[in-house]
Amino acid sequence: MSANIYHNRKAQWLAYIGLFCLLALVPALFDSPFLLNQLARYAVFAMLAVSVSLVWGYGGILSLGQGIAFGLAAYGMGMTMQMQFQDPVSDPVPSFMLTNDLSTLPLLWEPFWSTPIGLALTIAVPTIFFIGFGAMMFQARVAGVFVAIMTLAMLAAWYAMAYDMQPFTSGFNGISPPMPFEFAGVSIDPYSPTAYLICVGFLAALTLSAKLLMQSKFGLIVQAIRDDPERVRFLGYNVAYYQVIVFAISGFIAACGGLCWVMVVQYVSPTSLELTLSVSAVIWAAVGGRLSLLGAILGAYLVNGLQSYMGDELQDVWMIVLGSIFIGVVLFLPRGLVGLIEDALGYFTGKSETETSGVAIERAV
Amino acid sequence: MSVTDFWTPFELNSFLNALFIGLSIASIWLIAAVGLTIIYGTMGVINMAHGELIMLGAYTTYVLQTFFYIPFLLCLPLVFIIVSIFGLFIERTIIRRLYNRPLDTLLATWGLSLILIQGVRVIFGTAPKYVSIPSWLNFQVSLGFLHLPGFRLFIILATAALIFATWYIAYRTTWGIRVRAVMADPDMASSFGIDSNRIYSITFAYGAGLAGVAGALFGGLKTLLPDMGSGYIVEAFLVVVVGGTQLLGSIFSSIILGELASIFSYFTNDTFARFVLFTLIVIFLRFRPQGLITEGMKRR
Repeated sequence: MSANIYHNRKAQWLAYIGLFCLLALVPALFDSPFLLNQLARYAVFAMLAVSVSLVWGYGGILSLGQGIAFGLAAYGMGMTMQMQFQDPVSDPVPSFMLTNDLSTLPLLWEPFWSTPIGLALTIAVPTIFFIGFGAMMFQARVAGVFVAIMTLAMLAAWYAMAYDMQPFTSGFNGISPPMPFEFAGVSIDPYSPTAYLICVGFLAALTLSAKLLMQSKFGLIVQAIRDDPERVRFLGYNVAYYQVIVFAISGFIAACGGLCWVMVVQYVSPTSLELTLSVSAVIWAAVGGRLSLLGAILGAYLVNGLQSYMGDELQDVWMIVLGSIFIGVVLFLPRGLVGLIEDALGYFTGKSETETSGVAIERAV
Repeated sequence: MSVTDFWTPFELNSFLNALFIGLSIASIWLIAAVGLTIIYGTMGVINMAHGELIMLGAYTTYVLQTFFYIPFLLCLPLVFIIVSIFGLFIERTIIRRLYNRPLDTLLATWGLSLILIQGVRVIFGTAPKYVSIPSWLNFQVSLGFLHLPGFRLFIILATAALIFATWYIAYRTTWGIRVRAVMADPDMASSFGIDSNRIYSITFAYGAGLAGVAGALFGGLKTLLPDMGSGYIVEAFLVVVVGGTQLLGSIFSSIILGELASIFSYFTNDTFARFVLFTLIVIFLRFRPQGLITEGMKRR
């Protein structure tokens, strides 16, 4: 056993809590609504990256469909916020429906009159969908590349649906609720510290719970399945059960991300169901280090921050830079940037045996 | 759009026309998927940049036509050569390092596709470009109620020719035997003196070349945009996976999927048809992840 401080649980928890305290202090240090909104968006992206890290880094399931949960939740939140603006008596139907020849509110939209029911549906529908979809795949022992392709196809299907059902979703234009989200009588301005702290709060709560879960017996079994599903099956565990649960939890996290996303951007369109977003989330997690939730968060902040602050003249080549970084990480740093930190800490704090060499998947953080 | 006119009522003539459109869709999906089938089937490499190789083929045709005044038919073999050289380069620099790591090939080639899209965007701009097709292909075949644009007919024939050529190479030449030996068991093939690395390189180059030709043909159907490739990659992958990563399987699956797409969109509309089709494919894969046709060889 190595004495690498990177593998020390207390140190890990300190690092996690330190990061979230730092993030929570931002509104006190900077008084810039624009910056807060931007950082709130990064926090949402970080949630998506955490969901990828959980399902892929810990569960060994490469899902290209995290955007399904994100997008469905985004639409749910968009509908909730839109209905907060509508008036049951004088103006019951959103204007984009009227221009699409719908004179009455569709049944699908009715529950969203109530904000609590709307929020519950926003989170429950994607999670339940992920349970069903996951059960369908993992009970059939679909694995590896085939999961990637199936989630990809499912994402493309939902994208087509959001695009096509124009009277219900406003199609390509998307829904832009005219007012900020209002909860318990409080209006949450997307550029306010409140909105930012809600996003960071969600991120912190979800990440810490996920970390706690992954340290539990359940988490260990999930990681064992990642390393060798057959052997775990021989030990008598129901592999599909664990895979479905971890897949559903990742869907739940992504759904929370979708909810916060619409709260801070006040807009939802089919782009949230585009393949680009889902694959970007995979890139963030991979660059930061998919074997660590903290790594995935850092990856999301780093890549998005780089994109925002690289300067206008370099924006043209941003995709080239991102693509090159990604190829470089896949080829030379399979454990991402935190893999480097792990090696560095191992070098300074003690013998790390041969553990840190090679591509082999190691004990996760 | 109201619910009443969502469903198109059945009518024999236009339904038969839809069946022909389905065949045309099938030929497009098949030609986009052949290269992918060969690369995935032989090497187990998930090439997410395949759509971008198609895009490169289309832009290469545009360059050859606009700056070198090369006739369309002559462009096809030239594009094949140019794109396969590019494929060889990719294989040597990136893919080669990732054998036995299929999921990582998926990710690395995705990064590559980002680079290619943006690279083309920087060089050619975002304005759409066009490939002109020879005027003798601008005819319309009318068989009673059937109306077939000449160029679509040409694509169907070209697809058939390419499939035949690929089949011939794979099953009637020594080189094809070597490829299939490596496919079945790389270690055993090596011990018989087959250089599997070389086979992989050439196979990847060949698959890339096929993507290039597909791009040249699609250029005649659609405007050229840097991100045009992403429109083909999902369908192409589904054709490959549903077919079972074999030439024959891809032929069957592209015909079935193309016809289904056309029939669904006949009754409803294009995007809803996509939704139904993709959902059906996901359900199909749940029950038969090995695809339509398998040869009982090693998988995954």
